[in-house]
Amino acid sequence: MITFVLIRLVRAVVTVLAVMTFAFVVLRMSGDPAQVLLGPDLPQEAVDAFRKEWGLDAPLWQQYLSYFRAILSGDFGLSMRDRSPAIELVLDRVPATLQLTLPALLLKLGIGIPAGIYAALHRDSAVDRGVIFLAILGFTIPSFVMGLVLVLIFAVTLHWLPSGGIGTWQHALLPAITMSIGGIGILARFSRSAMIEVMGQPYIRTASAKGVRWQDVVRGHALPNAAVPIVTIVGFMVGSVISGAVVVETIFSWPGIGRLLIVSVANRDLAVVQCILLIIAAVMVVSNLVVDLLYGWLDPRLRAQPAH
Amino acid sequence: MIRLNRRHALGLMGATAGTLVLPGYLRAQGAARPSITIAVQKITNNNTLDVWNEQSNVGERVFYPNLWEGLILRDWMGDQGPVPGLATEWHRVDDQTLELKLRQGVKFHNGDEMTAEDVAFSFSPERVFGDTEPAGGKTIFAADYKPETAKDIPASLPGIGRRKWPSLAGVEIVDRYTVRFHNATPDVTLEGRLYSGGSQILNRRAWDEADSYAAWADKPVTTGPYYVEDHRPDVSLTLHAFDDYWGGRPPLERITFVEVPEVASRVNGLLSGEYDFACDLPPDQIGVVMNTDGFEVQNSTIWNHRISVFNTGNEILADPLVRRAMTHAIDRDAIVQALWGGMTVIPAGLQFESFRSSDMFIEGWTVPEYNPQLARDLLKQAGYKGDAIPYRLLNNYYTNQVPTGQILVEMWKQAGLNVEIEMKENWGQIMDFSTQAGVRDWSASNTINDPITPMVTQFGPNSVPQQRGEWTNDEVNTLSQVMETSTDRAKRKQAFARMLEICEREDPAYQLLHQNAVFTGMRSDLNWKAAPAFAMDFRAENWRVDG
Repeated sequence: MITFVLIRLVRAVVTVLAVMTFAFVVLRMSGDPAQVLLGPDLPQEAVDAFRKEWGLDAPLWQQYLSYFRAILSGDFGLSMRDRSPAIELVLDRVPATLQLTLPALLLKLGIGIPAGIYAALHRDSAVDRGVIFLAILGFTIPSFVMGLVLVLIFAVTLHWLPSGGIGTWQHALLPAITMSIGGIGILARFSRSAMIEVMGQPYIRTASAKGVRWQDVVRGHALPNAAVPIVTIVGFMVGSVISGAVVVETIFSWPGIGRLLIVSVANRDLAVVQCILLIIAAVMVVSNLVVDLLYGWLDPRLRAQPAH
Repeated sequence: MIRLNRRHALGLMGATAGTLVLPGYLRAQGAARPSITIAVQKITNNNTLDVWNEQSNVGERVFYPNLWEGLILRDWMGDQGPVPGLATEWHRVDDQTLELKLRQGVKFHNGDEMTAEDVAFSFSPERVFGDTEPAGGKTIFAADYKPETAKDIPASLPGIGRRKWPSLAGVEIVDRYTVRFHNATPDVTLEGRLYSGGSQILNRRAWDEADSYAAWADKPVTTGPYYVEDHRPDVSLTLHAFDDYWGGRPPLERITFVEVPEVASRVNGLLSGEYDFACDLPPDQIGVVMNTDGFEVQNSTIWNHRISVFNTGNEILADPLVRRAMTHAIDRDAIVQALWGGMTVIPAGLQFESFRSSDMFIEGWTVPEYNPQLARDLLKQAGYKGDAIPYRLLNNYYTNQVPTGQILVEMWKQAGLNVEIEMKENWGQIMDFSTQAGVRDWSASNTINDPITPMVTQFGPNSVPQQRGEWTNDEVNTLSQVMETSTDRAKRKQAFARMLEICEREDPAYQLLHQNAVFTGMRSDLNWKAAPAFAMDFRAENWRVDG
C-alpha cells in the first residue's frame, strides 16, 4: 500500500512540474509580454524599460531559474498589470468561483447519478429513453448557447433573474445551472452504462437466485461495483471545481478564476497565469490522487497489482 | 442698536436651526439622486486608474471628465477645443513659457485645496518623468530607469510622459495660485498638451501617504465631480458624487462601470434592465437595441481614424508604387456602407475637423481616389509579379476589423495584388518583425487641436513605425522638427500639407480607411448625450432631469 501511494505521489509532483514548465515556455514564446501589455502605441523606450523592469530581457533559462527559485520560496510574483501579488489576485477570485462550481457540482451529483441509476434499473422503459435523450441534449448543447438561451428566457423575457454579474444568490442561479447541465448529462450516461454492465454480471444473478432482496442486491452488490467508473468522472469534476468555467464566467460576467485566467492570458500577465495554472494543476493532481486511492479502497484487487 | 422682540427671536432661532439642519437635508436630498450602471467591454487595460499608465480609449471613458481634470479641459460636448478647467486663465510669457492662473477654492476628494504645489508635483520626475531630461538634454527617455521600491513609478511611465511632453523642462511655482510651464524649445502646442490624457492634476498628499504606487493608482485622489468609491480590477469601478466639486453638485449619486466582455451579455443586460447603458456595441447589434421599446442607440464619430501601416522592410512594399496601388484599390465608401451602415465617415486624409480651430486643416485634401485601373497600372510600373504580401490581423481588436480585412484582401485582389491574411493573437505577435511582415492594422488618434497628433507622434522620427523600422522618410523627419518647434503658423501648416503628400501619396506610410465611431445603447428615458469621444460626460450640464 505504501508503494502504491508513493508512486502516485511522485507522479503527482512530476505532473505539476510539467504543467509549470510548459506554461512558462509557451507563454513567453507566443508574443512579447511587454508589447502585449503596452499595446501598439507606446514608444520603444517604454517597451524596453518595461522588459527590463520585469526581467524579460534576460535569457529564457535564467528567467525560468529565477521563477523556480521564487516558487520554492513561496513567491508567486507580481501582476505586470498593476503590481499586485499574483497569489492575492488569484485567491481573491476563488470564493466567487466556488459559489458557482460547488452548487453546480452538487446538482451534477444529485441529479446525474440517481437519474442514470434509475434509467439503468428501468432499462428500455419510457423513463430510460427520456433520461438518455435529456442527457445527450445536456452535454451536446455548448454552454455558451445554453447560457444565452437561459438568459433570454429568464432575464430578458420574464425578468425573473439577473442576466449576469455577481451580488445576490439569484445572480448565481443561471450560471450554476448552465454549468451543471452538461455534467448532469455525462454523469447520467456514465452511471447508466456502469449499472447496466454490473447488472449483467453473474454475481448479481447469483445474489438474486439466492433470494436476496432486490433493493439489497442493488445497494450491496451493484452500486459498489458500478462506483469505480463513476468515481473517475466525479474525480475530474471535483478537480475542475477550482478552475471554474471560462465560458460560463465570461457569458455571465462572473468574476471568478476562469475570467481572471482569460484576461491574464490575453494580457500575458505571466505571474498570474502561472499562479492559476499551478493551483489548478495541484488541485487536479490531488483530486486524481484521491481517486486513485479510492480505487484501491473500492476494489481491493487494485491494491495488489503493481502500478503501471 | 438692534431691538429684538419675541417674533424676531423666534425667526432667528428658526433661521439658525435651518442653517444647521439644511445642509444635512440637502445632502439627504442628494441621496435621492439616481445611480446608473454602465456595461463596458473593458474598464481599463492595466487595472490602474493612473492617467499616465492607462493611455487607452477605454481609460478615457472612465477618467474623463468624471474623475480626472487638468488645468485646461477638453470641451467634450462641444468642439473638443480647450476650455478653462483647474486654471481660469493662461498666457504666453514667451515661445517657451506658459503661465497659468489656478482656480481658487478647488477641493480634492480628500478635502485639500488644490495649489501650485500639486500642479508642479503632477509634472515632476517622481510622478512621471523619472531621470529623463527634455529634448536637447543627455537623453529623452529613461532607458536605464528601473523601479527599486513599491512606491516608484512603473518603468514605462517616463517614456510615455516624454512622448506627450518631450521638451518640458519643469513647472515653476510662482505663487500659491500661479504656475509657469517652461519648455526647452519653442512649442505652439503647450496649451493643447495640457488637455491631452496624462496632464491631469493629482493631490500630492494622497500620493505621499500611499503605501505603494499600486495602492495610489487603485484610488487616485483628484478634483473631478466623482471620486473612486470602489475599484475591483477587471470587475467593476464605482464612482461616487463629490458634492464639494468646484463645478457644482454632480447629478448622479453613483456611476458604476461593470466589465461585461461579451457583447451579447451587454445587450441582454441592457434589455433586461440591469444596465442603464451598454457600451462598445458593434454596428450589427444596433438594430436589436433600437427595435426594443424604451431603448435607443447613440452613435458618434470619435477622434480616431482606422488605418493600416506598411512595412517597407518587405521587399515588395519597399517600392512606393506597390503601396500607392494598394491605397487606390480600396473602395472606402463600400466598406463604410456595408459594415458601418453609413454611420461613420471617410475623412480628408489623416486630418480631423478639430484642426480647423487652430487653422491647420488642409482644405481640398482627400484620401487616395478609388481607382482600380490606376492601381493596376502602378503595379505594372512596379513590375509586381504577384508574390504574396502578408497582412497581420487581430481578431476584431478594432470594430469590424476582420470583415474589413477580408473585404480589403478581395479589393486588392481585384487590382491584381496577392495579399494573404495572417491571423495573430496579440500585439506581441503583430509587432514581431523578426519574420517577414507586410501590412498591419492600427488606428490614429488626435488628442489636441493640432496635427502634431497623430501625424508627428505616430509617423515622426520618434514614432513606433520609425523606431521599429517599418517605414522612414528623411523629409518627414525634418518637417516633424518644424511642426514641433516652429512658432510660425503658416510654416507649420505648409509643413503639415507636405507631410500629408509624402505619407499618403509619394511614399505611403499608411492607408487610411475611415473615421472610427462608437455606439452606446441606453435607456431612452435618460436625458444624456454621447460625446464625440469614448469619454462619457456625467456632469450636470449633460444630465437633464425631467419634471
